[in-house]
Amino acid sequence: MDIGRFFQYIASGTAYTLGVTLIALPSGLILGMLFAFLAVYAGKIATRFFSIYSTIMRGIPPIVLLFILYFLMSGAINLTPFWAGSVSLGIISSAYQMEIFRGAILSVSADQMMAARAIGLSKIQAIRTVIFPQMIRIAIPGWSNEAAIVIKDSSLVYAIGVPEILRRAQLISASTQQPFLAYTTAAFIYFTLVFITNRLLNRAEQKLTIPSNP
Amino acid sequence: MKKTLVALSVLLIMAGLLAGCGEQAPTSTLDKIKQAGKVVVGTSADYPPYEYVDETGNYTGFDIELMTEIAKRMGVSLEWVDMPFDSLIAAVQEGKIDMSISCFNYSEERDQQVDFSDPYYTSQDAFLVAEGFTGTITDPADIVQYKIGVQSGTVQDEWVTTELIETGLMPESKLSRYERVDQAALDLQAGRIDVLVADSVPAQALIKQFGGFKIVYEVQLYTGPINIVLPEGDKALRDEVNKIIKQLQDEGFIDQLAVKYFSE
Repeated sequence: MDIGRFFQYIASGTAYTLGVTLIALPSGLILGMLFAFLAVYAGKIATRFFSIYSTIMRGIPPIVLLFILYFLMSGAINLTPFWAGSVSLGIISSAYQMEIFRGAILSVSADQMMAARAIGLSKIQAIRTVIFPQMIRIAIPGWSNEAAIVIKDSSLVYAIGVPEILRRAQLISASTQQPFLAYTTAAFIYFTLVFITNRLLNRAEQKLTIPSNP
Repeated sequence: MKKTLVALSVLLIMAGLLAGCGEQAPTSTLDKIKQAGKVVVGTSADYPPYEYVDETGNYTGFDIELMTEIAKRMGVSLEWVDMPFDSLIAAVQEGKIDMSISCFNYSEERDQQVDFSDPYYTSQDAFLVAEGFTGTITDPADIVQYKIGVQSGTVQDEWVTTELIETGLMPESKLSRYERVDQAALDLQAGRIDVLVADSVPAQALIKQFGGFKIVYEVQLYTGPINIVLPEGDKALRDEVNKIIKQLQDEGFIDQLAVKYFSE
């Protein structure tokens, strides 16, 4: 197998890697942020519920949840390997992202909420206009870490037969007897994806920095 | 206390969801396959020469070509699903794929979860020597005293490497690995190696092709009989697959495939 073909075959798995990431990361973001605000502001029961949710979801290895969703739940919901992978990574990521946002919300001092309420903003308004803009800035560094993790965890879907980068590298390694080249290619592609993502997020972080607020 | 209750109820809900999943419609997978007009077959395409990807990224190999013929005779099209070997049994069990062909050996443990077709191939390993060879081989490890040839990347190569070289029974310098088995045969003819270890079907083909060789010893080194993995208790499907395997064996189709994939 010549090198060009070899590289092309592995690289064509990138579509699956990106697909899984682009479903898991945003769904984790929406759920995680929602859960974080509910955990902080929706009262004691919500706090407790989401703390349990987060403990369970962060305690389960992604691949176990993947197998549960794909193999064990197949009688109840029949997901394709791609969706089973994306959904389970999304669920797990939602728990991690919830913790990132919860931490960010809590690091905006509670006095600000009180002050906002005192000048007549409703709770929702205060969250939207006072807490959220500050929280998002604090959350970006932690979040870019999570984004890198989800990109790399997306390789787990190979276990249920999604032909993404890692699985393709395995197949090429077996058929050409050149494991070093195959896995280095895979590593290079993952690295590039993570590198670009982190660069973009760094730029967003810089752009959003408030000059007077170190 | 309250926390424990909440945690318990979450667990109960999850358990309930999982428990509902064991039941499946009692129809035969064969009907499902015929109705859909296609059979979904799982393989782990990382095991040449049985299943691997070629330059164009297509699946190829002994199992792949055999399954293609089986699907043809079932009158349905064939859809491949590649997944790691460890996931294949679970995928058959859960009906994610209709069957799996991936150089599966029978094992009692596996038989409790899935069914096996009749073996479609029994890999025998032959120790091929020149006709003038005077030594005796009564145990595979006896070959350590000779110069050995194998085709690189085959199960025989793997066996010699793991069982004889890595254990220190013989130095690596006494083993020659060839890209093709006929190159090894040429060296056997020329006396550069004494014993050529190869799958017995291609070994017999070499005897016919070259002349002047004989098989001194046959044994199952690593592989043994291999079967197709089928859903548990699905007799209709198993009968159909067994019938086609029998036909293909009688017609010599499988031996031809063995020569094609185990010696080239």
